[in-house]
This record gives sequence, structure tokens and C-alpha cells, in this order.
Amino acid sequence: MLFGKYAAKFYKKYWYLFLLGVITLLVVDYVQTLIPESLGQIVDIFQADEPAQESQIMPIVLRVIMVALGVAVGRVLWRITIFSASSRIEMGLREMMFLKSERLSQTYLHKNPVGNILNWFSTDIESVDEFLGWGTVMMVDAFFMSTIVIVKMFLVNWLLSTMILVPMLLIVLWGALVERIMSSRWEQRQKANDELYDFSQENITGLRVIKAFVKEVQQARAFAKVAWKNKEINVRFARLQVLFDIFIEVIIGAIMAMTLCLGGYLVYRSFHGNPLLGIDIKTGDLVSIVGYFATLIWPMMALGQVFAMHSRAKASLKRISAFLDAEEDIVDGPEAVTLENVQGEIEFRGLTFSYPEAKKPSLQDINLTIKAGETIGIVGKIGCGKSTMVALMARLYNIDKGTLFIDGVDIMDATLSSLRSSIAFVPQDNFLFSDEIRNNISFADAEASMDEIEKAAAFACVHDDIAGFPEGYKTVSGERGVTLSGGQKQRISIARAYMKNAPILVLDDSVSAVDVKTEETILRNIRQERKGKTTILIASRVSTVSSLDRIIVLKDGCLEAFDTPANLMKISPTYQKMVMLQELESEVS
Amino acid sequence: MAQDDVKDRLFGDKKMSLWTIMVRTFAYLKKEIWSFVLALVLLVFSVAVNMLTPLVLKQFTNDLNLAESGVDFHDLLILGLGYFGLIVINQFLVYIQSMLLQKAGQKIIYRLRNDVFEHVEGMSIAQLNMMPVGSLVTRVAFYTANMSDLFTNTLVSIFRNILTIAGVAVIMFILSPALAGIMMGFLAVVFVISFFFSRHVKRIFRLERAKQSEFNSFLNESLSGMKIVQLYVQENRKKKQFDEQNLYLRKLRMKVVAAFAVYRPTISFLYYLALGATFFFAFRLNLSSGDVVAFYMLLSNFFSPIERLADSLNNLQRAHAASEKLYSLLDVKPDVVDSPSAIAIDSFRGEIEFRNVWFAYENEDWILKDVSFHVAPKQTVAFVGATGAGKTTILSLIVRNFVPQKGDIFIDGINIKDIQIKSLRKAVGQMLQDVFLFSGSIKDNITLYDSDAYTDEEVMKVCDYVNASSFINNLDGGLNSPVIEKGENFSSGQRQLLSFARTVLSHPQILILDEATANIDTETEKLIQDSLNKMKSIGTMLVVAHRLSTIQHSDNIIVLQGGRVMESGTHQELLHQKGLYFKLYQLQFEQAS
Repeated sequence: MLFGKYAAKFYKKYWYLFLLGVITLLVVDYVQTLIPESLGQIVDIFQADEPAQESQIMPIVLRVIMVALGVAVGRVLWRITIFSASSRIEMGLREMMFLKSERLSQTYLHKNPVGNILNWFSTDIESVDEFLGWGTVMMVDAFFMSTIVIVKMFLVNWLLSTMILVPMLLIVLWGALVERIMSSRWEQRQKANDELYDFSQENITGLRVIKAFVKEVQQARAFAKVAWKNKEINVRFARLQVLFDIFIEVIIGAIMAMTLCLGGYLVYRSFHGNPLLGIDIKTGDLVSIVGYFATLIWPMMALGQVFAMHSRAKASLKRISAFLDAEEDIVDGPEAVTLENVQGEIEFRGLTFSYPEAKKPSLQDINLTIKAGETIGIVGKIGCGKSTMVALMARLYNIDKGTLFIDGVDIMDATLSSLRSSIAFVPQDNFLFSDEIRNNISFADAEASMDEIEKAAAFACVHDDIAGFPEGYKTVSGERGVTLSGGQKQRISIARAYMKNAPILVLDDSVSAVDVKTEETILRNIRQERKGKTTILIASRVSTVSSLDRIIVLKDGCLEAFDTPANLMKISPTYQKMVMLQELESEVS
Repeated sequence: MAQDDVKDRLFGDKKMSLWTIMVRTFAYLKKEIWSFVLALVLLVFSVAVNMLTPLVLKQFTNDLNLAESGVDFHDLLILGLGYFGLIVINQFLVYIQSMLLQKAGQKIIYRLRNDVFEHVEGMSIAQLNMMPVGSLVTRVAFYTANMSDLFTNTLVSIFRNILTIAGVAVIMFILSPALAGIMMGFLAVVFVISFFFSRHVKRIFRLERAKQSEFNSFLNESLSGMKIVQLYVQENRKKKQFDEQNLYLRKLRMKVVAAFAVYRPTISFLYYLALGATFFFAFRLNLSSGDVVAFYMLLSNFFSPIERLADSLNNLQRAHAASEKLYSLLDVKPDVVDSPSAIAIDSFRGEIEFRNVWFAYENEDWILKDVSFHVAPKQTVAFVGATGAGKTTILSLIVRNFVPQKGDIFIDGINIKDIQIKSLRKAVGQMLQDVFLFSGSIKDNITLYDSDAYTDEEVMKVCDYVNASSFINNLDGGLNSPVIEKGENFSSGQRQLLSFARTVLSHPQILILDEATANIDTETEKLIQDSLNKMKSIGTMLVVAHRLSTIQHSDNIIVLQGGRVMESGTHQELLHQKGLYFKLYQLQFEQAS
């Protein structure tokens, strides 16, 4: 059994399925043991002094047929019930985890690479599912089947049974040991496979260097070394597996042979009227015991495997629980207010911000107010805090209370959904989903009409590009579809943000891969379409911002200046330098 | 090689006839043929021994009917020990046989992997550009592994199961032809059911795998794009998409469960039915009690091989698909190869001439248009121009990464088409813009997997020469310090210096350098500059230049625009002309300096 609050939750929900499955399993197990018994009876009838009668045989045959039916029906039933429960739990766990992942902040996602989380979603959930499904079956099967069989064995003959059972415990231990050793070896092999994979990946990527220096032979030799190691580890793994299998076969063979010899001796003594220790035993009894022994082999091995499976599932559930219990740091406060009718005034009031675990603050004592409806630029060197400034507006990170206000409301007091709904954000990485382009554009509004989507694309100057694709707006972006250029991605992200029609639009360096002429058109569109709404553009080129209302100039996390472009020429050295470089460039072109 | 053909081979389901695949696979198998033959012989023995065990039990049961057999206890003892002996012998055979196959199979995969890897190495840069690294890697690592199952398990398992079924059948017929005949009826039914089941379940499995991987990429994407989801307040929408996929996946899982929930119990039903039939007909046919026990034991050996056979067929199909992919790749012929008359040259003087060279990566999109220039030995020439002017392309044509459509390139007066590619590339030291470092040690990276060919002193001397020794000596491990993937533990300037060391160590007569545009800290920048000045004396040097000092110090400057040579001359000459170079110079350098 797995314990913990999440496990308990699911047991509470699906206990009836488990119960039904377990009961069926028990019945099936019991019924199955009738078979060796029947075999023993048949042998006794055949060996009896008087010839066998049909009336003796038929009931046994009928019973076997009844068993056949019962076992078949029972097996269908327990498979359906138990696996349906375990797969429901698997689904439920996944759902909880996904919900959780939607509520976690960027801080958490930065600390835990996507690869790790994906592992919890796949491998760990699977090992929980495996234990709940197969683990339950094997556990019940192994415990009850062995109990029933052992009782019956003892009823037939205690001495032979003891002789069989003691070494059988070895098999249980062996099963557990093998599972443990094999899983660690399996990891080793996996590592060797990963190594081969990584080597190929890296070396095929760097092949042009190798070709440039004519080191193909040496590289091939290095590859051969890795491949050889991989081969050796695979062979070693296989050897271990084969040896384990053989060992268990030999143990079973040994127990069997011992039973035959000792049992034969007992039967022999009984037959000659001289039973050993007063044990009177017939051939049929011995045959039954041999049959019981055969039925015991699987449960004993299963028992060992269940132990290992359990420890794996326990560790997995622990990781999953840790994820589900992770702190959600960006959440609505207890008395959060809904931002309504946002005008778009943004005020920074002495805002200082450091990323978690950063040594020095990324933004320091920022004081400024962006008026509603202004179009604002932000410039400054790489790493001066431009992106941080806009990321904080959407509360991707928590800030101190009383430092950042939208329409006079402290954003730490606003509900997350209303805050984020009022800001249309075009992040730098312009992440697109591998979905049709129209769905990417209408991401904020699933109901959007095709006209609206095309309008947004036109706003971002990407309509012609999209129309040029063979499948137009239905073109799938990403690996499965077309590979979009950086500029196209940026413009689709802009269209996506435009669709949101939010009071505040933020473009985080979103036109850097767009040519200057297109950039101008986009800027013109922004001026026209977003009249009266706040728009903030982070830019690396002066041309992007020189026509805006006002520009924020950042330097090393501090506000150097915030003024109109004309005034900045007088007061901001950073801005002056940028403009001069820009002028030189335009001269040549 | 037509581009479409390569793509077709890599991505399309290029079909090969089963016969072709078998012939080609056998070519690999041939080298290990004796292992396979021996394994199969052992297998026959092992199956035979396995068959004997029920017979021993039969004898034992019959003997136990002491009233009739009248055997001594010693006979029973011997039978018991004999039984154990058979098990031990059998397992011994199993061990030898399994290990023979494992070793042979793994050796074949090892060879196959090397072949595939070396084949990829032989591809031209143009071809490599067409093939996504991922798809090549899966061929080298993954599909080969799929094939290893074929040699280590599948083939033998098929053989063993057929043998087992045949062996059991034979023994049954020996024991009682009539009862055996009835059992054959059961066998036929199980066979038909298993066959259909395996086809059905394979389809579901494939669907499930596809769905699972789609689900994983959905998850991966959702988690990677969670920021966007949160910023656009679309959590509910994503959750809905997730739920749909989650539910669908569960339904598929349950389909698998349902399929097995029907199949397995059906088989066990038939098994028990066969057992009932055995009891009944044993009575009717007047068989001995020993026969009944033997049939009982044989039956359990009868049904499971069929189930396993169905599994093996699926594995066989997987190996078939994998080998198709591998052989298709091996069939892609390298498109830049030596002409039969190509000559090997040990050392060049370093004279380079481009004569009316036209080049396009695709169709008629000319990157270079009628480019001609001449470089005397030991000269340093800088190529200057805007992005896309064709500077880097010129360098890649010299080493025949690509072949011009029109015009010719000569080194020391010899058309490079007539020079063996290897000797050409050995003579040309290439320093590329993005320095690619491999994970390993610094020495490995400088010698490029050829660490044994150079002593530490030799390598260190070169590092000294290119000014790389100072930072290398500051590392704890010196030359043996680790380089992590992509060289991320070194700055771009340091990586640049390491690539210089690589070049100098290979004793080129011509050097080509594509200067990095990335920002390099001033201190390293100076080291690079000094190092470059020294390297000029090594031989002819062609530079795609971004740094003013590199350009100023070159003997000749070639200015490119739109794939044409616009101007050439020394720095001073070109400045006096007040042409394109003059403008470029003003823009890029005057302000900065």
C-alpha cells in the first residue's frame, strides 16, 4: 500500500473498484487451486486397483470446466476493475499536477527545469500506476495464493511441505535482490545509452570542425570507444539477467528434485507398510504436492518483485507530493481587488527589485509615472533591467507592497487575473505553440473571428507572410509545421498581444529581428490603433523609440532619465551615444 | 545528389523490399555466423532436454505405482537426481547460448553503429545542412539499438518457440497420438486467436505510443510556455486541452487493458479446457496415470510459446522498420568526393586564385557573382562587406565545403577539384566564427580526439604561441581541465584562442579566419589581436574581418557587396578612393575608436 494524503484521497474515491478487484482475485486464486487437486484425484483413480469408471471421471472433468469458466470470467473482472482504478488515479494525479504547474511562478519554474517536471509527469506517475495496478494484483495474488496453496499442501503432508517451503523463502529474497540489483544496473545501462546519444548529438553537430581539420578518423575512433563501452555494458547487463534467471531455475529444479526423492521415499515406505515417522502417503498426494509447488513458484517470485516495485512507487509518490505541495508564491492576496476599466497609468514608487538568489538588485529605487495613453520607450544596455521592469508590471515576480501601481492600485493588491488581463505582453522569447498560426494569434480570445485575426496580423505586418504559406492561417508553426523566421515569430507574437486589446501593451524588444521598414509600419500602426492606450516598447535600436512620447533610459538598474526624445538629447549620455551611432548607420544605407 | 532525394530518404517512409533488407542484414550477420550456428545447435539441445523433463516425471509417476512397477527406492532416487541433472544441463546450455547471442548481437550493433557514424562523417556540409542532427542521432543510437533486439532475442526466440511447440507436439504424439491430435485442435484455436490479438493490440499500442509522445510534447510545450499561458490568463483553456488529452490517453490505456482482459483469460480458459479434455480422453483412451501427468506438464509448455511467438513477430516488424531507416541513410552517397584523378599534396606555397566564380546555395539565388581575385603566398587578405555580401561563402568554397556552379578556384595554380579533399583541408587551417568545443579536456579539443599524437609540451607550446597558455595555466587541471558541452565554461574570447591553437597545431599553409562578431572583453581582445599578428607569418591568411586593426594590418582588402567584388586595395588606397570602403569604415570604426 502507498500512504500519504494524495494516496488516501484516491483510495477514498476508488476503494470499491479495488475491493471488487481484490475479491475477484481471491476467488480466482482459490478456484485455481482446484486444478492440482483434480490432477491428484485422476492419478489416484487411474492407479487404483479396480479400473476407472466414467462416473468417477466425469465430475472431475466437469469441475475443471467450471474452473475454466470461473477463472476466465474472474480474470476479465479483476483486470478491468483494478486497472481502471489505477489508470483513473494516474489520470487524476496528472490533472492535479497540471493544475499545480499552472499556478506555480516563474521562480519555481526556473529552479526546476522542465525536464525534471516532465519526469515527474511521466516516469514517476507511471511507477505509481504500476504499483497500484500490477503491484496490487501481484501482492494479493502472491499473499493469498501462497496462503491457500500452503494450507492445502500442509493438509496433504506437513513434512514434504516444510521441505519445500523453507528453500522457497530463498526465492522471495532472491526476487527482491534481483529487482534491486537489476534496477541499478538498468540505470547504468541507461547511462551508457545516454552517453552514446550525447556523444553522437554533440559530434554530429560539431562535424564541420572535424571535417575542417581532417580528423574524421580520430573522431570515428573516439566514437568507436564510446560504442564499445556501450556494447560491453549491454553484454554485462544481459549476462547478469541471464544468470539471475538461470539461478532461479536451478533453485526451483533443486527443490523439485528434493521433493521427488524425499516424497518417493515416503511413498515407498508407506507402500511397504513401514511409514516414516508414521506418515502415510499415497502417490496421488505426492503428485498433488508437486502440482502445488508449481503453482507456488510464481507468487513467490512476485512477492520479491512487489517489494522492489513498492519502494520505487513510494519514492515516486514522494517526488510527486513534493511538487503538489510546492509553495505557490504568486497568488491573490486575501482581499485582492479586481482591476476594472483600466486606464493605463503606471506608477513606480521607489521600486527596488532583486531576483531570488541574486547578489545585487536588478532595479534600484525606480520612481516614475507613465500617464495613461502614453507611448513609452525603454532603452539601455543589455542587463540594465529593461525586461525586469516590464516583467514586474505583470507580476511575474513578487515585489514589495507600495512600489508599483496601476491606475493608483497597488498591483500586489490586485487580482492576478485582472492585472494580467489588462496587460498585453510580448515577451522577448516570443514563444509560439505548435498549433495553427490563427490559434496562436487568437490565443487570448478563442472566440475571435477570422476577420479579427487577420486584422491583428495586419497590425503586426505579418499578414502577407502568413498568406504566403501554402496553408495560410492554418499553417502549423514549429517542428511539425513550417519553420518561422525570428522576425515572423516576433510579429505573430505582436499580433497575439494585439488580439488581447488590453489597456496596456508591452513589447519587450519585439521588433529586433524585423527589418527597419517593417518596423516603421508597425510603429505607425501602434500610433494609430492604440491611440489613448498605454504602450511600452523596449528597444535596442534608437529608431524604434525616437518617435515615441517619452523614453525611459536605464543604466545599471537605475533610472538615468525619463523624458521626451528631444530633451533626452540634452540630458542623457546613454541616449546621445545611441543616437549618434544610429545616424552613422543611416548615412551609409 | 538531389535535395529531395536526401529528404525522402531521411523523412519519407522509403520502402525497401524485404529481400533487400534480409540480404543486407545477413551481410552483418555473416561475420558472427558461427556464433549463431552454435547458439542454434545448443538451442536445439536445450529444447530437447527441456522436453525430457516431463518424460522423467511421467516415468516417476508410473514407477510410484509401486503395486505394478515394483521398483526399488533407488530407482526413484535416481530419477529425482536425473531430473535435477537435466535442469542443470539445460540451464548451462541456456547460459552459453544466450551469451553467444548477446556477444554476437552486440558486436554486430557495434559495427553497424560505427558504419553509420562514419557514413555520416563522410557527408558534405551541404548534405549535413539538409539533415537535422536529431534524425541522424536517432539513427546512430536508437534505431541500431532496435536492431540489436533482433539478433540477441527475436530471431532466437522465434526459433526456440517454434522448436518448443514442435517438440511438445512430437512428445505428445509419442505418448498418445489420439490425445495429441485433440491438443492440436486447441493449438490451432490458440494460434488463430493470438495472431489476431497481436495484430489488434499492436495497432492500439502504436496509437498509444503516438498519443503518449504527442501528450509529452504538449506537456513539454505547455510547461515551457507557461509564462505565456499565465500572462494571457489562459490557464483554463490550457487545462481544458490538457484534460482532453489526458482523458483520451486513459481511454487508450483502457483499450489496451480491455484487449488483454479478453485475450489472456481466453487463453487460460482454453488451457483449462484442454486440461479437462486431457482428463476425459485419457480415461477414454485408456492412458496411464503417468501419461496424464506428462500431458499436464506439457500443456503448460504448449500455450505460452504461441503467445511469445506473437510478440516476436511484432519485434521483427520493429527491427524491419529500423533497418529500413538505417539502410536508407547508408544509401545516401556523399556528394563532395575526390575525383579519381585527384592528387595528394603535402605542402602548398599558398597562392590562391578565384576565377569568375559563381555560387548559389539554391537555384539561381547567386551569393557570389563572378568573383575573381588573386592572393600571393604569405599575403594576408581581409574581406569586408555587409552581412550577406558573401564573405563567409568565399572561405567555405576554398575548402570545398561547397562547390561553385561556375568558375574555378586554384591553389598554387592547381584547380582545387584536382586536389584530394583531405590534403586540401589539411593545408587550410580554418578558424570559424562560432568556435565549437566538444565536451572532454582542453587537450582533446585542441588536438581534436588526437591527444595521443601530441605531447603536452607540444600542445602547450602552441598555446603559448597563440596566447592561450595564460588562461589554461590558471585552470586547476591545465591542459586536462574539463570542457563542458559547447564549451560553456569558457568565454567567447577564450574559445577563440583555443580555436587558434587548434589551427596552429595542425601546421597549415593557408589560414582562413571568420572573425567573431560577438563582444569580447578588452583584455582577451588584445590577446587575440597579438596572436593574430603572429599567425600571419605562418602562411597565407584570408580573414572575414570585423575588427579595424585586422583590416588595417592586412596586405590587401577586398570589399564585397551583393556577392560582387566592388573594390580592392590596401587600407590607405581604399580610403583615398572614398568609395564603399570609406563609408563602411566611417560607419563601423571611426566612431568606436
